[in-house]
Formats: sequence, C-alpha cells, structure tokens
Amino acid sequence: MSRHSRTSEDRGPNRGGNNEHSYSGIKRKRDTQAEIENMSDNTHKRANFSAVTQNGLNRNLNILNLKPAATKKLVIKNLKSEPKLPDDYREQTWDKLKSAVLDIQKSKPNCYSLEELYQAVENMCNHKMANTLYNNLRLLTESHVRDNIEQFLAESMDRFLFLKKMNDTWQNHCHQMIMIRSIFLYLDRTYVLQTPHIHSIWEMGLELFRQYILQYTLVQTRIVDGLLMLIEKERQGDAVDRTLLKSLLRMLTDLQIYDQAFEQKFLVATERLYASEGQRLMQEMEIPEYLSHVDKRILEENERVLHYLDSGTKYQLIHNIEKQLLSEHVNNILQKGLDGLLEGNRLADLSLLYVLFGRVKNGHSELCVSFNAYIKKRGRTIVIDPEKDKEMVQELLDFKDTMDNVVANCFNKNEKFSNSLKEAFEYYINQRANKPAELIAKFVDSKLRAGNKEATEEELERLLDKIMVLFRFIHGKDVFEAFYKKDLAKRLLVGKSASVDAEKSMLSKLKQECGGGFTSKLEGMFKDMELSKDIVVAFKHYVGNSNNDLSSLEMTVHILTMGYWPTYTPMEVNIPENMVQLQEVFNKFYLSKHSGRKLQWQPTLGYCVLKARFKSGRKELVVSLFQSLVLLLFNLSDELTFDDIKTATNIEDGELKRTLQSLACGKARVLNKTPRGRDIEILDKFNFNNEFVNKLYRIKINQIQMKETTEEQKATEERVYQDRQYQIDAAIVRIMKMRKTLSHNLLISELYLQLKFPVKPADLKKRIESLIDRDYMERDKDNPNQYNYVA
Amino acid sequence: MDDSRRYGNRVDEALQFNQKRCLTWFREYTAPDDPDTLGPEGMEKFCEDIGVEPENIVMLVLAYRMQARQMGFFTQEEWLRGLSDLQCDSVSKIQARLDHLRCLLNDQNHFKAIYRYAYDFARDKDQRSMDMDTAKAMLALLLGKHWSLYTNFSHFLEQSKYKVINKDQWCNILEFSRTINIDLTNYDVDGAWPVMLDEFVDWLKANRAKTSEDGS
Repeated sequence: MSRHSRTSEDRGPNRGGNNEHSYSGIKRKRDTQAEIENMSDNTHKRANFSAVTQNGLNRNLNILNLKPAATKKLVIKNLKSEPKLPDDYREQTWDKLKSAVLDIQKSKPNCYSLEELYQAVENMCNHKMANTLYNNLRLLTESHVRDNIEQFLAESMDRFLFLKKMNDTWQNHCHQMIMIRSIFLYLDRTYVLQTPHIHSIWEMGLELFRQYILQYTLVQTRIVDGLLMLIEKERQGDAVDRTLLKSLLRMLTDLQIYDQAFEQKFLVATERLYASEGQRLMQEMEIPEYLSHVDKRILEENERVLHYLDSGTKYQLIHNIEKQLLSEHVNNILQKGLDGLLEGNRLADLSLLYVLFGRVKNGHSELCVSFNAYIKKRGRTIVIDPEKDKEMVQELLDFKDTMDNVVANCFNKNEKFSNSLKEAFEYYINQRANKPAELIAKFVDSKLRAGNKEATEEELERLLDKIMVLFRFIHGKDVFEAFYKKDLAKRLLVGKSASVDAEKSMLSKLKQECGGGFTSKLEGMFKDMELSKDIVVAFKHYVGNSNNDLSSLEMTVHILTMGYWPTYTPMEVNIPENMVQLQEVFNKFYLSKHSGRKLQWQPTLGYCVLKARFKSGRKELVVSLFQSLVLLLFNLSDELTFDDIKTATNIEDGELKRTLQSLACGKARVLNKTPRGRDIEILDKFNFNNEFVNKLYRIKINQIQMKETTEEQKATEERVYQDRQYQIDAAIVRIMKMRKTLSHNLLISELYLQLKFPVKPADLKKRIESLIDRDYMERDKDNPNQYNYVA
Repeated sequence: MDDSRRYGNRVDEALQFNQKRCLTWFREYTAPDDPDTLGPEGMEKFCEDIGVEPENIVMLVLAYRMQARQMGFFTQEEWLRGLSDLQCDSVSKIQARLDHLRCLLNDQNHFKAIYRYAYDFARDKDQRSMDMDTAKAMLALLLGKHWSLYTNFSHFLEQSKYKVINKDQWCNILEFSRTINIDLTNYDVDGAWPVMLDEFVDWLKANRAKTSEDGS
C-alpha cells in the first residue's frame, strides 16, 4: 500500500462545489481501495479533479456534449436504490480514527493514510455523525492530556528537569494537536463552525490542557516556581536556558493563565529582590557605582521582556524596578552622592543621574532642590571667608561656569534647573554684605588696566559679560558703583587704562543693566577727559601767544567736574615756584573762559616726568607729584632727614612715609635710606642715589598711585554707608510727607519697596529715631506704633 | 468787735491763700542779689523746712505743679503759679498737701505727664538729650520701685555705649515698663520700639540664657 504524503492543507483549497463531493464521495466509498491504486497511476482519472480548474469548464461535459460523431453514447441512469451506509459504518470509521489519534498521541506510525483518515472524517460529518465524532475526539484528547499532566504530580525531580519535561510535554501536545486537527479538519470547518459554544479542535486541546494544569495546582505551582527560580538565577548573573523560559511562558500565555499563575508571583518576587538589592547596594556602593548598576538592571529587564517575558508585563516590571531601586532611595542618593558628583565635576555620572531620576515621580524636582542647596552651600564658602577675598571673584566665575556646564550638558538645559541655579547664586552672593560688589569692581579694574596682556579683545569681552552676570545677582549695587568709580578715576587720570574701547564696552553693559542713572556720572568722567584734551590744546596756544616764558615746563591739565568724580580730600602742599606760576596762568586762562566756576588743584592725583642725571647716565622718571616734590629737594641738598622733607613739602605723615618708601625701599631705589629697612621711621635720613642703574631709559615709579590703601578702601565704604543713610532719610521724609500719618509696619514695607540696596530693619529704625529727634516726624501720642509727619 | 470773731477772722485769713504771704515766704529762700530765683541753697533750706529730702519724688511732683523749668531752681512766677494752684502759702499748709501730691503719682495719666515732664526738667538745657547719669538717677526715682525689670535695665545701660537718652527713648521706656511682661514674651521685635529697647531685650534674653546654662 502506498501512502500519500499529501497533508490536509493541500486538500482543503482544492475542494470545489458540493455536488462533486457527494459524487466522488460515493464513488470513493465503494472503490476506496481500487481508487487509490488507480489514483496512483492513472492520470486520466486524476483529470476529473483537475478538470474543474482549467478554464472553469468541466471537461467531462465537453466529453459528454461535444463530439456528436462519438461512437459511444453514454447513458446515465439513476441509481436503482439509494445508496445506504453499512450498519457498523460509524463504529468502523471511528475505530480507524481512534487508532490514528492514539498513535499520534503515542508518536507511533499509523497504518492508515492521511487521505483515508481525512475522508473518514468527511464521511462521518456528511452522515450526521459529526457530533459523536467530536465528543469522542474530545474524550480521547482529555484522557491523554490528563495522563500527561498527572505524571508531573508524582515526580519530585530536579526543578530544571521538571521544566524541561514540561516543555517537552507541551511541545508534544501542540504538535499532536496540529496533526489531529489536520485529520479532523473537515469537522473543524463545518460542524465546529456551525455549532455555537464549541471550541475548535485546537482550542479544545488548549482548554483541556489548561483545565488540568489548573486542576493540579501542584503542577502549576511547580512550573511557576521553576520559572521564577530560573529568572532569579539569571538575575544573579548566571546564564540560563532562555528558549525554555520563552517556550514555557508562551505556553502559559496560550493557556491564558499567564496573568493569574505567573505574572503576579513574578512581580512580587521581582519587588522583593530589588527591594533588598536596593537597600543592600545603597549601603555598599558609592553612588556613581550604584547608578550605573541601576542603569544596567533596567537594561537587563528590558531585554528580559524582549527575550521571553510577555510584553504586557513590561510596564509593571520596569515600574517596579524604578520604584525599588530609585524612588525609595531618591533622598538618600541625593544626600549621599550629589555633592560629591558636583564637586568632582563628574559629568557622565550626573547625566546618568538626571536620566534615571527622570523615570521616577518627583525625581527631577528633588534633584533640583538638592542642586540648589549644594550651590548655596558651596557658594557660601566662596564668599563668606575674608581670608579668601583675593580669589573670590575668580572662584565665583569658575563656579558659575562649572554649574552652567552641568545644567547644559547633564541636565538637558532644563529651564527649572537654570532658574534654580540663578536663584541659588543670587541668594548666596548676598549672604556677605558689600564685599562681593567691591571685589567684583576691583576685578574689573584689574582687567581694564594697562599691562594686562593676558586676554585678547574677544576674551576680555566674554569675561566682562560673565562679570555682568555676577553683577546682576548683587543687591547692593551702589557699593560696586563707588569702587568702580574710584578705580576708573585712577585709571583715567594716571593713564593706566588699557583700552578706551574696553572701558566704553563695560560702561554700556552697566548702562544696559542698570539704566542711565547709574552710569551718568561715569559717562561724565569720560566726557571730562575729552574736554580736557581740548582745553589743553587751547591752553598751549594761549601760553604760546603770551609773554610768559614757561616753555621749560610742560603742563597737562585734567579738569574734573565735581560730582562726577570721587571726592578727593584737598591737601595743601608746598609746590615749587615754577609750578605754582604755571598753575596761576592756567587758572587765569580757564576762568576767563568759564567765569562762574571755581578750580581746586588736587596734588594727590598729579604726576610728573623728571629728567634725572645719574652716574650711569641720564634717565627719565615718571613719578607722582608727591614723589617729585621730594626728589626735587635733592637738587639743593645731598642729604635730608624725614623731618626736613616734611617741613619742606608739607606732605602729611602717612602719605609722606608711603612716598619715601616707594622711592627708597621699592624696586627702583633712586634714594638711599639710612638706616636700611623697609619701613620709614621719623629719624631716617635720605640721600640721592647716584649709583642708581636701570636698563630702561624711562622708568615708572608711580605705581604707588594706583594702589589702594586700607584707609582709601574704608573711606569708600564709609561714603557708601553715609550715602545710604541720606537716601533712607530722604525716603522716610518723602513717604511721611505724602502719607501724613503711617503705621510703623507700613512705613517699613514702603521703605523696602523704594530702597534699592539691602537694609536691615534696625538700620531703618535708627534713621526713624534720628528723624524724630530732629523733629521731622513724631510718634503719635495715643498710638505708639504710629508716626505723624511734622510739617 | 467780738474777740471770737476777730480770732475767727484771723483764722479765716490764715486759712485763706494770700499771695503776699506766699511771696514773702518765697523771699525767705532767695538771695538779695537774685530775688526772683530760688537757687540750690534756697532749695536746701526749703526742703529742710518742709521736712522733705531734696531727692524725694514729692519734690518732683511739686516742681511739676509749678511747671518749673530747671531742676534745682524755682522762679518767682513758677513758685506763685504752683503754690496758688495748691492753695499753700506756708510750710504747714504745704505739709498738709504733701500726701495729695504723692497720690498724684498713683494716677496713670498724671504719672505719665509727670514722667514726661521730668525729662525736660532734669536735662541740661544746653543739650537736646539727657546725659546718662542724670537719666539713671531719674529713672531710679521714677521707675525704680514699681518696674520689675528696672535693675536689669540700669545694668544694660551701664554696659552699653549710650551716652545720652533722647526724649523718644525716654517716653518709650515708660511704655515698655507698663506693657511688656517680665518674660519679654509679648515684645514685638518688628514693632516701632526704639533700637535701644530692642537691644535691651536682646541683651536680657542672652543674659538669661547664659545664667540658665551656668545654673544647669
């Protein structure tokens, strides 16, 4: 007997209309055996089937109708009697099928061909035996499934083997069901479809399998526990059989028990594992290590989903991990590790932190809060210690750069973070009153001075812009203005400004930031310098045209409008006659042009170029006016005491000491001092140093003018405070005049609105008391908390 | 005329206030070269006569009634004004009124007026503010007995840098003594109290904290 290797799939599509079925069915029934033989070698017969497919015409008909010249005439008669099935047809056919099913289940070869079996099914269905057929099949399947699963109850074997065996059982079941289904396909497509509430054969198989897994909970538990064990092993780092896992998990999904049997337990186990892992590793590991571990775990779990878990589990799984490894430890991570990361500028770790915290609720806002706190804490150490004043500004700039960089590169330029950064900077910079403003002004001065060769124009521009950012944070900007003005004056007058463009650029930045009012005086200073140039030219003409022979002495004058420039205490010193004369001439010249004005000469600001003759040759010395007054004395005497000099010049003691120090104890010693030493004492003697040598021809010794003394600095600060007091007084009077009567609290809050610099309530109270004392205002007689304006 | 009536008239006369008599009495205490002003010497005698120490607070009340300008001095005008107000023209009469004067201090409003008056009365007229020594003496006189925090306050003043007290501070001290609890719990730091009192409160709190530390 030959067996056909055609599968049910092949059969299916070739089927045509109903009539043919019955026709060939009956035929088949009779001649099954013979037909098969015929089929195997008779292509003519085969043509009957395939005749339909060619042109859609039935060749049979052609044969019948055409060829009228055919010799034979084919007559078809009705059957004499209706064909009847044999009585035991049902049992016989079922037996055949049953054996086939059993063989499949036992993986044994079956004596019947697929074709035969298929036909058997079809026949039974056509003779109203489909119901029986189905039920019988079901019973068979059920018993087989039950037996299969029951075996797992008994055995207590190694978990891994258990799973393998289970998997095999399952695979076999699937394979077998497919084969069974292919045999019973006709049943599946007719009876099953037409009858409601009946599973298809495949589904029936699944349903039965499922039923027994569920019924034998021990089996189910063993499967699930085995799977969980494998997963745990993998999580601990061992390699496991992923295909097995995938297959079994697909089994659970197909059986629709994935959720109830597996997923819940899985998630619980996951939670437990990661909860304890989170706790443990937070203690053991450093934060950067921990973060990369978390990152790795998340990646792993994502892969796990891809490789064998059901994708529906993904959301809960990842959420679980994020919670256990991140959410629970947010505060701890920030407290333990953030400062270190920021301090060490660990950009990669910070970026990872940002990304991971983005996964959890409030992660970013907590990070932002801690970030803010770090800046305030660290920033405070930069500004608060007077010992570190020298480096303060540079450190501020560097710190800002670093933090900006972190926000840009690690925190994704998140606006919340950059705003928080600004707030933190503003907060801590103002924790130290006044000093940062002063130091920033001095820093700008150092950059704008000549001799500062470090920076190109663009670099300087960028630096100034960064400075402006810091400037914006400061509350007491008037302190900055006072020092900036003082230093600017020095730069302009002593000629130490590096570049007018840079100066103007800085000025325009300040104007943009604070408005014209802030910079009007500074601009006035520049204007004065310009005007002075014109005046000097005019003066030269004047001198040239006049009778005075003053050509031996060249004088340049800067006219400073009082009010624009810092206040300088005028000093009366003894100036040589020829200088005085020149001054007088200039006075006359200037006042003739501007009659209503008054000129006051400022000897502290002047400087001279002296021609000196040493043993080594002629030199030119650029010296301050005071220095020149002292030096000129040595034209007349070789040696002079401190006292002599003092009497002759009338320079005040402290100033004189500084001057002599710069001439006798500094780098360029044009005078000798006895006894030697750095400090000037009252009993010291000085003489002209003829042996003086220097490789330059023109030597500047007037740096002294650029230096700021502590007295100067204190004086500037004092002036700012004074000024603030006036402003407070004026504000109080203004407010009281307008309101006539006001409560204490309202007055204070009104003042805070109006005053542009930081004040303490105690300072305001003091000014209020002072004004009460001076009868500008009074306390109300009945209400001590109320003030009245006194007209 | 009946002797009894004449006696009664004389008694009546004696009882009634007589300006001339008052003025004559005044003259007992003034020096010939300055008849209109009763100075320190006269003041001493006056006090002796009426049996009151010069530092006694009653003298302050009396001065207040006279609206005397300068401590230690009474002008004729002030003398007459005050004493005619009190209807006293002799030592005995004024001695009888001393209790009445003392009682004025018990009335809140009168005390306040007297306290305020005391400032201008006691200060050196060349200065706007009262120097610290005078202030301490006056405060002791006026508040020493009734203000529980008086001793603390005077210690505070001693160790402070304040050299004078101005009128505003003076008046507020009274308010403070009347309204603020001994434990300072109801003192409003942000209120309109003068800075001196803010400092006093801070100082006192710090001291108390220290003593409790030392004690424990």
